[in-house]
Amino acid sequence: MKRSMYAMIHKDFRGVVSNRRLFASLLIVPIVLTVLLPSIFVITGHFTPDDPDLQQMLSLLPESIQESSLEQLIHQMLLNYILPVFFLMIPIMTASIMAASSFVGEKEKRTLETLLYAPLTLKEIFRAKVLACFLVSMLVSLISFAAMLLVLETELFFLTGSGLFPGISWLVILLLVSPAISLIAITLIVRQSAKAKTVEESQQGAVFLIIPIVLLAIGQFTGVLMLSVWVLLGLGVLCALVAGLLLKRAMGNFTYEKLLS
Amino acid sequence: MEAIVFEQLSKTYPGGKEAVKELNLSLEQGEVFGFLGPNGAGKTTTVKLLTGILSPSRGSCRVLGVDPAQHPEQVHSFSGVVTEHAQMYDHLTGMENLEFYAALFGLSRQQGTQRAKQLLEQLDLSDAAGQKLGAYSTGMRQKLSLARALLAQPKILFLDEPTSGMDPESVLRVNRMLRRLAKEEGVTLFLCTHQLRYAQEICTRYGLMEQGRLLACGTLEELQNRVSAGMKVQIRAKKVPPALGLALKADGIWEGNISREEEIPKLVRQLVELGGEIYSVSAQTPSLEEIYFALTGAQEVLL
Repeated sequence: MKRSMYAMIHKDFRGVVSNRRLFASLLIVPIVLTVLLPSIFVITGHFTPDDPDLQQMLSLLPESIQESSLEQLIHQMLLNYILPVFFLMIPIMTASIMAASSFVGEKEKRTLETLLYAPLTLKEIFRAKVLACFLVSMLVSLISFAAMLLVLETELFFLTGSGLFPGISWLVILLLVSPAISLIAITLIVRQSAKAKTVEESQQGAVFLIIPIVLLAIGQFTGVLMLSVWVLLGLGVLCALVAGLLLKRAMGNFTYEKLLS
Repeated sequence: MEAIVFEQLSKTYPGGKEAVKELNLSLEQGEVFGFLGPNGAGKTTTVKLLTGILSPSRGSCRVLGVDPAQHPEQVHSFSGVVTEHAQMYDHLTGMENLEFYAALFGLSRQQGTQRAKQLLEQLDLSDAAGQKLGAYSTGMRQKLSLARALLAQPKILFLDEPTSGMDPESVLRVNRMLRRLAKEEGVTLFLCTHQLRYAQEICTRYGLMEQGRLLACGTLEELQNRVSAGMKVQIRAKKVPPALGLALKADGIWEGNISREEEIPKLVRQLVELGGEIYSVSAQTPSLEEIYFALTGAQEVLL
């Protein structure tokens, strides 16, 4: 990689860490989804395992895992079926916040024009910025996953005396679905960045990405669609294809005039 | 090779506004060219066309032989740009900002730091090098922008109001630096400003713009000749005989028209011989401001 592109990525990383508001908004969603939410589920499941609603949900799980004890069943459902859906919000939110700050934020602060006067092609600038957003999104996702696992395992250990292994679906999420939807979120923000005058305005586009996640969550809770490894794989491949297409189109539409208008 | 060439360069914005109209002009290397006109005359649009940020609607331009609309990154590699819209990062220090842009221009870490230090010293910003840009005054920001533009030792500098917000001492320092760059290093300066007095201090040739059109172009002398064939001589004297044809402008101040400077000694001799008492004599050539107003018929002062 060119030193200039590396410098841009490094600068965008620093921009996140040094901006308290941005940093806080990047942390809030992961903390809620990976620490608060699992803890509530674990504690609820431990103290009220006989809840009829919970029983109804557990009956929707595949028969292969129905043989486990009731508490184990609850925890399995939590870690491998409920949390993955919520977890997908992390890369979307992180990528959106980063992309909005990196593209529209620079335009708002009048630093984008200075960047465009550098001896880099627009494609190189685009690539460096997308890469910076993508890397931050992936980093936050991985740290969130590690934090979630740590919190969940610790709580389970103290409550039940045993731990729980994450299913293979997490591997698909971390390596395929999460990177793909990060890229989709970034490209949607970049498309908005030409029209948007403020960071908030540009983030509106990413809200539409949350809708499929909410639908997935509803599907999970009602039993309409269970997130098996195969469903996740299919979803991941589809998202990766969409991301690739969107990226190509966004890069083609990236002109000086559109960016600064 | 000519530094900058415009051929019928025109730019019409999507809304229909014609910002630049059929600009024809060429600049030699090492020239300090003053591109002058009021706000909205098309100066900034021209800089954006020259740097490839905007594409021309008609015509073309070339910077050191490169078409900025086709290869903007090549033009950026040998040019430095200072405009009020090109800001730097408030959360980084002055030094960090320069180091970042040095890296963008392909300088190694060591080269970047060394060059940044050198420029900060030349622009009297060494003490503020470790301060966050957010704490800089407007003048300091402007000087840092100039330092940024000079990082990669450009062959062409596009400067849009480069001294706005600077104190008089800084303006002098910057002017000295720019003159030296043009004279000793052959850097071409394309300087946009609406401050005509400032332009007259530093530029070697001028282009006067109004509503996207180039009204006139040339050295100060060429422009002076264009608006008035001769020059005025102002004499502070008593007992001036009417035969000399001088007009009384104020108490004891007389003014006459001559065609060349060489006519002044003859006029003075005649005045003395006819009994006039002279206290001072000065030749009056039209300033850039007067030339501009004469060409546009504008009444208001540009600033």
